[in-house]
Amino acid sequence: MSVERVFSMGERLQRLLDGAEKEAEAKVVEAEQKARDMISKVKVDVERRRTMAQRGYGIDELLKKAEEKATKEAEKKLKDYKKQAEAIKDVPEEKMEEAVALVLKEVLPK
Amino acid sequence: MSTKSLDMETQLIERIVRQRNERITKAEKKASEIIESAKEEVERIKEESEKQILSLVGSEIRAVSDRIVGGAELEGRKMMMLSRQELLSKVFEDTRGRLVEIAGGKGEEFNYEDVLIKLIIEAATAIGGEEFIVSANEKDLAYLKKNLKKVNKQVTDALGGGELKLDDDPIDVMGGVVMRNSDGTKTFHNTLEGRLVNVRSRIEAQVGKTLGVI
Repeated sequence: MSVERVFSMGERLQRLLDGAEKEAEAKVVEAEQKARDMISKVKVDVERRRTMAQRGYGIDELLKKAEEKATKEAEKKLKDYKKQAEAIKDVPEEKMEEAVALVLKEVLPK
Repeated sequence: MSTKSLDMETQLIERIVRQRNERITKAEKKASEIIESAKEEVERIKEESEKQILSLVGSEIRAVSDRIVGGAELEGRKMMMLSRQELLSKVFEDTRGRLVEIAGGKGEEFNYEDVLIKLIIEAATAIGGEEFIVSANEKDLAYLKKNLKKVNKQVTDALGGGELKLDDDPIDVMGGVVMRNSDGTKTFHNTLEGRLVNVRSRIEAQVGKTLGVI
């Protein structure tokens, strides 16, 4: 191998490594910038929403969510009440007899 | 170039390429961690903000919840109340059926003639005076006509006086009597259905307790 060839290849390989270093740095810098953008964007967004909420605007989504949650709760409540209402009518025969006897005793003169 | 030199050159290139790839991979991993961490931070900020907004608009959200859940609560209670009423109505309907049997002389535990006399005495006591006009249904009227002397004696024994006269026009009742004094200034309704209605308004809660639904 000639000395020139060795130098030439050495330079090229060093360039490759330098290029990789730059590329790696760029990836990290890009990610950091993206992260900063994401955070600053969300901060602007939440601040805007908070200000709007303070004025009573932009809370439709929250109210919709609350409505959905309440609707589910209401459905569950109604289901439970329906079950209880059905159970009320399911009185044992002897209890019914007892109740009829009580009314009869009150209706008929002593 | 010798074979040995070529091998060395190849090995050197491979090592350098490997190093390059490792640096890139390491950087990519770091970048990915930075983005993940940022995403977590974004979520945390959003959650925190949601909490703040919720506390700001809490009263409106509570109003929405109260309206919907409260409405269901009301409807549910109404459902329960209707079920109770349905059950209570069944008890009073069953009792009515039993009264029809008793008035028809089919009640095994009760002698309807005794019941009728007691109803007459009760009405006469409430009206007061000496002479009473009795209205009853066709069947009871026939019985009273047939046994007027005996019935009058029972009333006299119970009240120390008093005389019954029968109204010839039968009335449409299940049983019992409507009585008035001779000048028609006082009337006392002592029919079985009338008593049943009074009893219902008086002891409905007690019946509910007996059934275990109140």
